[in-house]
Amino acid sequence: MIQNLRTEVKKLLKDKKVDIVLGWEKGSLPLSSSPLFIHKEEDVDRLIFDETCRNNLTTYLTKDKRKLGKTYDKIGIVVKGCDARSIVLYVVEQQIKRENVIIIGVPCNGVLEKKKILQKTENKEILESKIDGNNIHLKGRDFDLKFPLKDVLCDSCLTCRYPDAPVHNIFIGKPRKEVDIKDEFKNVIDFEKKSSEERWEYTKDEYARCIRCYACRNVCPACYCNECFVDQNDPQWIGKTPEVTDSIIFHLIRNLHVAGRCVDCGACVSACPVDLDLRIMNKKVEKEVKERFDYTAGLDIDEKPAMVSYCENEKQDFIMG
Amino acid sequence: MIKIKKSEFNKFIENLQKNYSVFAPVTDGKATAFKKIKSSDDINNKVLNTKRSPKEIFFPQSEVLFQYTEKGMEVPKREEKPFAIWGMRNCDTKSLLLLDKVFGEAHQMPKKDMYKDPYWKEKYDNCLVFNLACNEPLSTCFCNWFDGGPFDKTGSDIFVVETDDSFIFEAVSDKGKKFLTDCKTTENESDKEIKKIEKLKETAESFLAEKEDISSLFSKTKEIWDEPIWDEIAAKCVNCGACTFVCPTCHCFDVSDEGKGNKGKRIRLWDSCMFAIFTKEASGHNPRSQSTQRVRQRVMHKYNYFMDNYDEHLCTGCGRCVVVCPTNLDIREVIKKILNYKNEE
Ligand code: SF4
Ligand code: SF4
Ligand code: SF4
Ligand code: SF4
Ligand code: SF4
Repeated sequence: MIQNLRTEVKKLLKDKKVDIVLGWEKGSLPLSSSPLFIHKEEDVDRLIFDETCRNNLTTYLTKDKRKLGKTYDKIGIVVKGCDARSIVLYVVEQQIKRENVIIIGVPCNGVLEKKKILQKTENKEILESKIDGNNIHLKGRDFDLKFPLKDVLCDSCLTCRYPDAPVHNIFIGKPRKEVDIKDEFKNVIDFEKKSSEERWEYTKDEYARCIRCYACRNVCPACYCNECFVDQNDPQWIGKTPEVTDSIIFHLIRNLHVAGRCVDCGACVSACPVDLDLRIMNKKVEKEVKERFDYTAGLDIDEKPAMVSYCENEKQDFIMG
Repeated sequence: MIKIKKSEFNKFIENLQKNYSVFAPVTDGKATAFKKIKSSDDINNKVLNTKRSPKEIFFPQSEVLFQYTEKGMEVPKREEKPFAIWGMRNCDTKSLLLLDKVFGEAHQMPKKDMYKDPYWKEKYDNCLVFNLACNEPLSTCFCNWFDGGPFDKTGSDIFVVETDDSFIFEAVSDKGKKFLTDCKTTENESDKEIKKIEKLKETAESFLAEKEDISSLFSKTKEIWDEPIWDEIAAKCVNCGACTFVCPTCHCFDVSDEGKGNKGKRIRLWDSCMFAIFTKEASGHNPRSQSTQRVRQRVMHKYNYFMDNYDEHLCTGCGRCVVVCPTNLDIREVIKKILNYKNEE
């Protein structure tokens, strides 16, 4: 697989079909990878794809003043299913032109959640690791663990319907169509069953840990505003302290801003240094959008996004009157 | 040197609490941090680098500087007892010395004592710092690059080594000496304990990765300020503030007023050079509008500007930023890249 991927990428660069290719290389920590920006053919051999390729690289197409999508005419980008869906989001929202990106799909079996691994090893140092088939083997100074890979995959991956780029130019191997998933919203449904006190207790404790570093926002492909509302200080929309009330407002507004746009790539969840459960609200909003507008983000380049289309028979009970 | 059996640890902490507000590493939900403890049961002596650094004890992420009403203003009341911090690691105790240069000494200011920060001093000056030796450094620890180490004592009042069955205390500062003399449980130095400590130290040091010679880092950073290397270094950074917020030495802050009607407060908040609005001016102009410029600021502040001002690097090699960075922008690799950089001419 990896050889085919490298060959394809080399070809793209050689034939000048792209100016740059975004992919992953081996990271500096155990079981980690790091974004790789390939300009030259000789760098292609650093390219990898495996369970450690956690980042959603599409975020670089729109992030900051760098905006690779605006810097280069032709960009190649290696994508998992969720990543590909965020490119669709950009095209639909007119952030990039479809013809300017060469989407290189790779078969994804899910990516590792570092935090789950650290729970397994009780935060101990991993000195050796091996993934073999559906199992993962970790060794440290005083442990030797073997367990199913799915125990340490990201939650998003465990309920992912579209692991293989639904939209692509090149696919390495054979893409699977939709995967049959029945309990996609299980975390939300379970949560909805709790009493409002229980829900508040949980939510409050989670958000109380937020340190307002904005890693969740900054890795998110859907958060590409030139100036985020939290950065505005004239007027200042929200309090900037890490107090739970301020943090909750930040998160709720962000949730609404990515409503119908979040592709559940889980990048925010993995990026959070203090391990907040951000996914529960992401999924809640995704579920609402699905139920009200029958819309799933990032699947169809020609479909109008939920928040800019209007249909007379839509549920409108949220409009106060 | 005094020794306290692990079975007596609870009692020791209880005694300490009589005269001090005791802070220690605790597990706070799914993350670890230094918090004021209720009892010794809260303490997590296993964690090496708490997720959030102990700088927040003295320099909280948000701190009310004063409150006001139409009648006047007042500074919020502080804790009465002095602080004792249990379980800091060398990379954190050293960070306090660095921060004290900024907030406590202010030696560069035009008039002596002019800008000493009362909020910092009040908490830091009377505190008692227990530095717990690191028996098992992590692969991300690189304190040795900055002449620190798992058994280094710099910045502490009392140095503590955890052995199989006890904690062994050694006074480092005068404050520490006084504290230990006042403790009634003094014991003689024993060869056996010294050997044990030597052994632990040796093992700990063997876990650390090889030391990088950073003696030319300062001059190197000076040379490369406007070189294209920064684009390469910064390419993958997404400018979140994670690295700076977990860093024990980062200390940029912002001031925010929150008021309503005739009441309000002025708050000091951590800021981060990684943020897009970090140096945005009222006119709208931003001298560091690009991500690359901000990454350069972070690196230069740590390994050049601070050195220029205070003769030290603003980094203790704790490795926290390495662990949390969502893009694996590893500061150790940045340092190596800078050291190996050859100017084009
Ligand atoms: S909100 Fe989180 S899961 Fe959704 S697109 Fe953004 S980073 Fe991905
Ligand atoms: S990444 Fe985590 S800590 Fe940082 S702002 Fe987001 S939720 Fe808060
Ligand atoms: S960096 Fe050094 S002092 Fe800090 S925790 Fe690691 S070994 Fe201890
Ligand atoms: S820059 Fe990184 S390694 Fe250095 S003190 Fe800060 S968090 Fe620790
Ligand atoms: S944590 Fe990493 S991505 Fe975030 S600002 Fe720091 S270096 Fe950049």
